[in-house]
Amino acid sequence: MNTVRNHSCGSRRRWLVVLVALAACGPTTQAALAASPAIESALPRIVKIFGAGGIRNLYSYSTGFLVSAEGHVATVWSHVLDADSVAVVLNDGRRFEATVLGAEPQLDLAVIKLQTDAKDFPFFDLKQAVEVGPGTRILGFSNMFKVATGDEPVSVLHGVVAARTKLTTRRGAFETAYQGTVYVVDAITNNPGAGGGIVTTRTGQLVGMIGKELQNAQSNTWINYAIPIDELQETVGEIITGRFKRREDKPQPESTIANYRPLDFGLVMVPDVLFRTPAFIDSVVGSSDAHKAGLRANDLVMFANDELVQSCRSLKRELGRLEAGDTLRLIVRRDNQLVSVELEVPRKLKP
Amino acid sequence: MRGMCVALGVLVACLCCPGSSTAQQDLDALLEQSFKQAAALLNPSIVQIQTVGGLDRVAGVVTGTGPTTGVVVSEDGFIVSSAFNFAAKPASILVNLPDGRRLPARLVANDHAAKITLLKVEAENLIPAKAAPREAFRVGQWSLALGRTYTNAFPSVSVGIISALDRAWGRAVQTDAKVSPVNYGGPLATIEGKVYGILVPLSPRGQTETAGVEWYDSGIGFAIPLVDIYRVLDRLKQGENLKPGLLGINFEGRDQFGPATIGMVRPTSPAAEAGLKKGDRITMIDNAPIARKSHVRYALGRKYAGDMIRLQARRSDQEISVQLKLTDKLLDYQSPYLGLLPEREETAEAPVAEGVVVRYVFPESPAAQAGLMKRDRITAIAGKPVTDSAALMRAMVGMAPDDKVSLSFVRQGQVQPLELTLGALPDRIPGELPTVSIPPVDRADAKAADPKIGRFTVELPAHQHSYWAYVPPDYNPNFQYGLMVWLHPTGDTMEAAIMRLWKSVCERRNLMIIAPKAGNPRGWNPAESVFVKAAVEDFVKQYPIDRSRIFAHGYATGGAFALSLLFKERELFAGAAVASATLRTAPPPNTPDYRIQLHFNSGSADADHARVARTVEGLRKMKYPVSFGIAKDRSKKYPSQEDVREIGRWADSLDRI
Repeated sequence: MNTVRNHSCGSRRRWLVVLVALAACGPTTQAALAASPAIESALPRIVKIFGAGGIRNLYSYSTGFLVSAEGHVATVWSHVLDADSVAVVLNDGRRFEATVLGAEPQLDLAVIKLQTDAKDFPFFDLKQAVEVGPGTRILGFSNMFKVATGDEPVSVLHGVVAARTKLTTRRGAFETAYQGTVYVVDAITNNPGAGGGIVTTRTGQLVGMIGKELQNAQSNTWINYAIPIDELQETVGEIITGRFKRREDKPQPESTIANYRPLDFGLVMVPDVLFRTPAFIDSVVGSSDAHKAGLRANDLVMFANDELVQSCRSLKRELGRLEAGDTLRLIVRRDNQLVSVELEVPRKLKP
Repeated sequence: MRGMCVALGVLVACLCCPGSSTAQQDLDALLEQSFKQAAALLNPSIVQIQTVGGLDRVAGVVTGTGPTTGVVVSEDGFIVSSAFNFAAKPASILVNLPDGRRLPARLVANDHAAKITLLKVEAENLIPAKAAPREAFRVGQWSLALGRTYTNAFPSVSVGIISALDRAWGRAVQTDAKVSPVNYGGPLATIEGKVYGILVPLSPRGQTETAGVEWYDSGIGFAIPLVDIYRVLDRLKQGENLKPGLLGINFEGRDQFGPATIGMVRPTSPAAEAGLKKGDRITMIDNAPIARKSHVRYALGRKYAGDMIRLQARRSDQEISVQLKLTDKLLDYQSPYLGLLPEREETAEAPVAEGVVVRYVFPESPAAQAGLMKRDRITAIAGKPVTDSAALMRAMVGMAPDDKVSLSFVRQGQVQPLELTLGALPDRIPGELPTVSIPPVDRADAKAADPKIGRFTVELPAHQHSYWAYVPPDYNPNFQYGLMVWLHPTGDTMEAAIMRLWKSVCERRNLMIIAPKAGNPRGWNPAESVFVKAAVEDFVKQYPIDRSRIFAHGYATGGAFALSLLFKERELFAGAAVASATLRTAPPPNTPDYRIQLHFNSGSADADHARVARTVEGLRKMKYPVSFGIAKDRSKKYPSQEDVREIGRWADSLDRI
């Protein structure tokens, strides 16, 4: 460290030396000390929840965080709350019964109320939550795997925000009720019982609520994420004040009746024999719209209305969603070029 | 860049006054700032890749269809990525540049050694990533794993440190940043925004593009140094597919720490052409001194077929130096064969005398033709004394079919010499094979602490799996038994059927069974090989098992898993006997380092019969010893009692020499 003390601003090489010194430390005891005020302030605001479950691999515990001095706790909406009342254990070991005050399944959110008249609980002010970007160092707090027994505090993890993204950017990638923005983090935060825990910045500012365990169907990997507090804040307030009305129910599952097929545009696709048959055009019906737009046999359909078409099946799905009067934008690959065409969706009698 | 310099200035200032927590806070803030700036600096060189069409399963792993990541390596549109992202052989590849342009891409070439793929898009003025020099790599340095799969707006970031250098024989660096399909193909960056390497899945054992995926997000991630990729970029740009460079030698003995003494020079290989000989001890490759076998692997780890190397070796008192060109393919190795079964002696007794006592001579084998007989005791081969059957096998490593060798053997107290021509392991199972009779042990008064007998189930809590096992109730701990590792097909452990068909065969052929159960009813997951191996090791610790007679046995999907297990764990398994099963990935070449034997069984009316036959043909072409039992008119069914007896005879001759 002596080289560092002598710091007349010099060559770039000097910075390198510093960086190497820093890097060699890695996450050191010093780093841990710096974060400790944040951890000390967060832990009393986090609770362990014990409720329904315990059979058939369903765990019966989760995590929550206090959001009012009166003992309102925000947590993830899950089977654990599927009981008349649940047990909540605070960081100091106090144990309360709690009942569900309200829930918004579309946000994977529930608010429960401790059965007490006390009005002096430490809590997170949701209005103070911050928005962060990739690379931001974070702390994760949760009752994962029920590691914390008795009055022990919950587990703390560290990492960085990997991305702020929408779980739905890729259609069908995630089977989840929540469809909004999430923070993906590089700490392994999303474990059994971790749902309802929190992610903060390294200085203790609230960032998000850890969601349920979720697998990405497109890469077959588990994802670690938190729902940003700004997505939850309004609903939490409404549930507490009793003004909450559940939003419209989820949109009905997509109709299985396909509105349009490739042939409606004059496209004959190659036979769909494999799970992922690429969407090659086999032939184009003469005088059809597709023909007029210049599509040809052997063109490979890559995008339909900006959705990546990975197979004949996904093209059929995209066309099935169209309504009369829409415009169908196709991008096809021909030799090594991308060609873009627009087709009007024809009016037709539905079956 | 300027912002970063300022940040670093403050950072240095902070380091001067440790002890104050605000200073530490500032330091943390600056560090965080550096992470973000490094990602921003590299941002223009990181592209998103989308693929269309292709296989949905590769080597038994369900492949993802989401977008993946690549790194720009030239202004005119060359992009490197992990070969994992193209393992599904997509019909079409698209590249999304950070500026929003979307371009079709062409796959130019693969580096099969490093599992890197080169793509080309038609674009100009791209910003290639800068490689961090290898001399600057240090364990403990911050490292950022960047990907571009979530959004195109900004790379995803995971932060860790460099955990190790020169993994996978010098080909990769290791990091504890989270590496997964989310960032395979993306850069592992320094805190300055230079690139250590390209993130890839990697397994020290596996060879396929998907090996190592089971370690995703585990804190064990790998990157192929970008400096190494730049070194061969011109070759890749010209469409040359790079392959690992082979020398064509096998070492004496398996001990990795032993001296690099050549045990065998493969015919027509670069080593053979350079005149290297069995017994030569390698002392130097290029400028790297070689003290043990592993040093040779490190010296060759980053070499490709076509590269020239200079090699020095010691032959008795003489130092020799040769220059040779590495190759990508060696002639397939074929195990030599004498045609006998060695006596299996009682383990508790001291051996009567040194040498290998012949228990059985296979009719028409080289040994039979040379006149070797039952009860003869072989004491030397090619002038080398032989203490036991393992020593005889070791001495034969490096010999090939058609080689002429001299033997010494003892018959009725007389030492006699013998000349014979070696053969190849036959691919037929004899209709009759003598058994070894082991005196049974009565266990009427067995205690609870004794090893379990009969059929029982064992839980392996560390692996959250269980296995069932069968141990003949009267087994004799002073004798060694063969071990069958039964791998059930999807959704059915077939416990009752296996017991019904195998119980008598186990008794006759001195076999025990263990049967691991797949964790998921949908079938075996390649990662479960770890558990199967643990189960076998657990079992071998408690029962007298002859390690040269451990084999995997499976039917249908269980058979396919048995084959992949065999080729992944060649230290553990001596062979595999499978029914109605085919290979899913190309096996490694047959090598003198491990003697592998295979048996296939299929019904001629089985829909998969032709595919099984092709697998057998392919393995035979690679010179693996493969026997093939065809059940006439049988459809897709587990083998009959008669076929099971045949598999039993195959298993009972795994120790043939």
